[in-house]
Amino acid sequence: MKNRASSHLLLLLLIVGFEIAGYFAIHRAGLLRGYETSIIGAVRDLMMFVPLMALVLWLSRSMRFAGNWILFTTAILLFSIGLLVQYRLYSDPEYNARNKAIAREEKMDALRTRYIMENYDPAKKQMMGLPPTPAQPLSIEQLPHKPSNYTVWNAVTSGYTWIPVFSFIAFAVAYWLCGRDGFLLWLQRNSFIIVLLTLVPLAVAVFTSSAGKALGNMTPWEPSKIPFLVGFAGILTARYKDLAETYWGIPRARDIVPLLVMAMLPFVPFFALKDFGQMLIFSGAYTTLYLVAVRRWPQLLLFVGSVLLVISILVVGALPRDVQEKVPLLPTIARPIGAALPSRIQQRFHLWLDGFDPPSPEVSWWKKDYQDALNKDPRLKELAEQSPAMQKTVNVDIWFDKLAFQPAQAVFGIASGKTTGRGLGLGYPEVIPIADSDYVYAAIGEEMGVAGGAVVILSIIIFVVAGVRTSLEARDMFTKLCAAGLTAFMGFQALVNVGGILRALPMTGITLPFVSHGGFSLITSFAMLGMLMAFSNRNARDRVIADRPTVKPTSSLKLEAVQ
Amino acid sequence: MNFILSLLLLLLFQSPSPTPPLVPERVPALLTLIYVGGLALIVLLLLIGLLRSRRPAVNAAVPQDLPKDVKRRLGSTSTNRGLRALRWLFVLLSLTIFSFHIYWAHYAAERNEKFQELSYKDLRARRLSESTLRGWILDRSGRLDQAIAYYRRDSSGEIHREYPLDKALAHILGSDRGDPGLERALFGVESGAMPEALQVVKGQTLEFKGNQDVRLTIDRNLQLAAVDQLKGKHGAVVVLNPQNGEVLALYSEPSYSLKDVEDETTWIRLEANERDKPLVSRALGAYYIPGSTFKTVTMTAAFLAGLQDTEFTCSSSGFQASPGSNPILDDGGPGEVHGRIGIDTAFEVSCNQYFAQMGVKLGPDKLKQAAQLLGIGTYDTPSEALRGRKEPELWNASTDAVKRALAPREATIVTGKQLTRYDLALIGYGQGYAGQMTPFQMALAASAIANTDGKLMKPKIEFNRPPEVFKQVMPAQTAATLRGIMSLVTGGPRGTARGVFAPIKAAGINTGGKTGTAQKVVPVYDPKTGEPKTRHRIERDNRGNIIREYDELIMDQEHPRIDAWFLCIAPLERPQIAIAVIVEGGGYGSKSAAPIAAALVLKARDSGYFNVSNNQAQQSSPPKPKR
Repeated sequence: MKNRASSHLLLLLLIVGFEIAGYFAIHRAGLLRGYETSIIGAVRDLMMFVPLMALVLWLSRSMRFAGNWILFTTAILLFSIGLLVQYRLYSDPEYNARNKAIAREEKMDALRTRYIMENYDPAKKQMMGLPPTPAQPLSIEQLPHKPSNYTVWNAVTSGYTWIPVFSFIAFAVAYWLCGRDGFLLWLQRNSFIIVLLTLVPLAVAVFTSSAGKALGNMTPWEPSKIPFLVGFAGILTARYKDLAETYWGIPRARDIVPLLVMAMLPFVPFFALKDFGQMLIFSGAYTTLYLVAVRRWPQLLLFVGSVLLVISILVVGALPRDVQEKVPLLPTIARPIGAALPSRIQQRFHLWLDGFDPPSPEVSWWKKDYQDALNKDPRLKELAEQSPAMQKTVNVDIWFDKLAFQPAQAVFGIASGKTTGRGLGLGYPEVIPIADSDYVYAAIGEEMGVAGGAVVILSIIIFVVAGVRTSLEARDMFTKLCAAGLTAFMGFQALVNVGGILRALPMTGITLPFVSHGGFSLITSFAMLGMLMAFSNRNARDRVIADRPTVKPTSSLKLEAVQ
Repeated sequence: MNFILSLLLLLLFQSPSPTPPLVPERVPALLTLIYVGGLALIVLLLLIGLLRSRRPAVNAAVPQDLPKDVKRRLGSTSTNRGLRALRWLFVLLSLTIFSFHIYWAHYAAERNEKFQELSYKDLRARRLSESTLRGWILDRSGRLDQAIAYYRRDSSGEIHREYPLDKALAHILGSDRGDPGLERALFGVESGAMPEALQVVKGQTLEFKGNQDVRLTIDRNLQLAAVDQLKGKHGAVVVLNPQNGEVLALYSEPSYSLKDVEDETTWIRLEANERDKPLVSRALGAYYIPGSTFKTVTMTAAFLAGLQDTEFTCSSSGFQASPGSNPILDDGGPGEVHGRIGIDTAFEVSCNQYFAQMGVKLGPDKLKQAAQLLGIGTYDTPSEALRGRKEPELWNASTDAVKRALAPREATIVTGKQLTRYDLALIGYGQGYAGQMTPFQMALAASAIANTDGKLMKPKIEFNRPPEVFKQVMPAQTAATLRGIMSLVTGGPRGTARGVFAPIKAAGINTGGKTGTAQKVVPVYDPKTGEPKTRHRIERDNRGNIIREYDELIMDQEHPRIDAWFLCIAPLERPQIAIAVIVEGGGYGSKSAAPIAAALVLKARDSGYFNVSNNQAQQSSPPKPKR
């Protein structure tokens, strides 16, 4: 597998070929369930590979890309899985329907009618009011189905068309910009201002959004991650040597304070936006960057220790009551923490540690939802008032219908997928809300099984390893840190997303990079990919130059040299 | 395209057995496997590419003529070491998280109890049962137009499951919630049973018997008659065919409507109704004190032990099992005196003192033997006996699921060595440690006697299953003798049910039976909420610290509930039906329960059950009971 454009173009063609198989499977399975999936949508999705291949040609011909193609192909692999799952979900009438119950009924009826036509003998058919035809297998084309109403106009104006296109444009722009030394230098020198400037639109977003989402179900502040990362990398590049001079393990105040300020700045808007997932990823990425740049053992221990302390405080504060009571003194410590933690964090921790059990209706963050649900359905309210045992049953019901619905159905879905999955179109991932962006891994786990999950996780590992290699081979600190930060960011984001779905970690609201097509996640991911590939190209050029001992170092080494 | 795919499938999966029909689901499943396989291939290629393009450590811009190890040390910077550590950490973390996926996919369904308990909340299970069709459930006649569970298609094309005998068969058929009944046992699919793509491709599609109708042994008319008879009461009716174990009718009142419980709130409300417990089948799942009906078991034990000729005295002062214990009297109090009687008279008049003494004489071992032959669980200590496990092994059914769905609670008696004479006496006439019987078990006890060979046949509900023997309880001759004794209750001069059965005897049907009346102390119920009233109790140790706090039921000691029982077999010569009836709070057995049994006997006669045995009646007339 050579690192040539032609080999990877071939890989892309292979991906397209297999995608066609996948799309065909979804189409057939849809017919079996009584609805026709849109061929126009499928064609539109497959046409996305045309600009991708154009990008490959552009990169290799006009930009003369010499870096690591693996980054690109892996990202496209994840992208294509995302395309497929998205097609599966939005073609399903139940996923989109306003009235899901009716859509579900229609689906079930289609399955049952088919069964009856194929298996019942004429006498029974007659009793049911159907024409008494003998039992014989029907071909798929003969099945009655609801035709798709997705027109070409829908396809042209849909977000699903334009967001990938914008992402590709973002990719090209990011690649082109980060290939220019002047730009990188500018970034490095003005990191602080960049961060401050990014805060402005974020502040606007804080005041106009609600419940952590804006513009529908999207998070338009995702692209702000890039300037923050770049800014932090810039400051670190400028000061890492100073920071490495420590007194008893702690660096000088005048070095560490601006860094800390810079590090804390992104946390403020994300905290206000209640996007704790992003905060978690940021802390991970920043810590990684710091540790990578300033490798002093005491600081490493200090950081790891403080991270562990914070995590344990959170966990302790959010533990469910009965677990807390098992350890002496724990409840007294936990109570003030529990009171101080935002309710969303408590919710998430409870879902993680004890997801199958509802909390008592008295618990502060559950109380409001519980009362709301009771007020909506007076019968439930009357039942709950009868006795404590009744109230417990009602509580479990409300829990599973409200907060625990999404994670519980996701876990059930993954469990039903087993090793090879239920088959594309043959499972029920449409039951999981937002299965096409936040919970896409659950849909993959259900329909493609452990095998599909392995493909995704391996792809992410390959991507991160390739990204780390880009960082390793970088010759100047800024590029090194940027690449490391971007890779760390994307890697941790993927892990936190998958871990949240699989209950290894508490669920956060973040998406799986490249696979989730939701909102601005794709644009951000492709922009980051563009930057990484620019850095990779840079490395290749530098290597070529450095390996030629007779050639003097040129302008590409103007940036800060490695220690 | 289809042709290519079918060719592919046939090539891949050559099986010696005839190829399974090309179920349309195989196409998407196969394509999924191709897709995932293809992606895995591409990932593998990328991985190979990644590993092959590993480069040695970066060479800084240094002169080439330095010694190798110096170059190496210069090249590998500390930052890079940090990055490599990050890489390994990441790979480790990803694999750890991936292992969670494997856990959920393979182990959670079996090992994680919480998961299993709550898997009914999985919406997929509901879809599975909605999307697969069940077979039709037919009654004894086997006619499609008399089906008891079938599908109907309404004008808009929607398909609904209909239960024409809704309440009458609710406990047997069961609903989608709670414990499975026959509907789910025969046709239910758990969502974990859905095949994965690989299995679909291999043709191992879901083994659901959607096209196989099941013919039950239930007789529609008898079942409806039982419903009629129990209207407005709380109780149960069990009608078996003692010759082959077929269950002809099984009804528990109050019942519930299968259509109504599709609504979750209704189901929750019914489940919480502690007083009426409509969701519980009293025939299979409720314990009652058998009272005098247990004398059939004691009598069987006596005959098996060879003690049938014993005579005991029934006196006005009652029977004292040991010095100082409560005297055992008959229902009529000290005034009811029978004198010195044999087992047949004692059975006819239902003499408690006789059977109490017989219980003492039999002793725990003989009672244990007889009980085990009849399927009653015998335990050494009361705590074990009270556990109330289910007894699926009693049934003769095609699958374990059916056995579990219809499993009765195990009737138990305590037969340990530590039983006192008083305990044995109480057991003898159906009180004390014999107080944990189900109506189903009593019907089985009666049907062992009713069987012409003295065998207890395993009950069965599926028409097409061959009969199976549970145990050979007694010799055929003994069974005939016992039948004769039972006929004294309904036809003898002092039989406790002779009044009720007089018209039946006049109609020419010979029957046998046993009345039973049992007192049970029950909890007090709050009239408003229907919940049992409780009293909060606190146990303290000698320093005043609280050891335990609990809520105790307040029992209504002044107004015990009097349950009425009746066992019946008909026709006597070669019984085709064995009936057990219980009416909670019905008072005397002869008053409430016997008339119900009588009505059912007449209904059975009208349905033609007794025509078969008329020919054999002349050949085997019951021998007179020995004096």
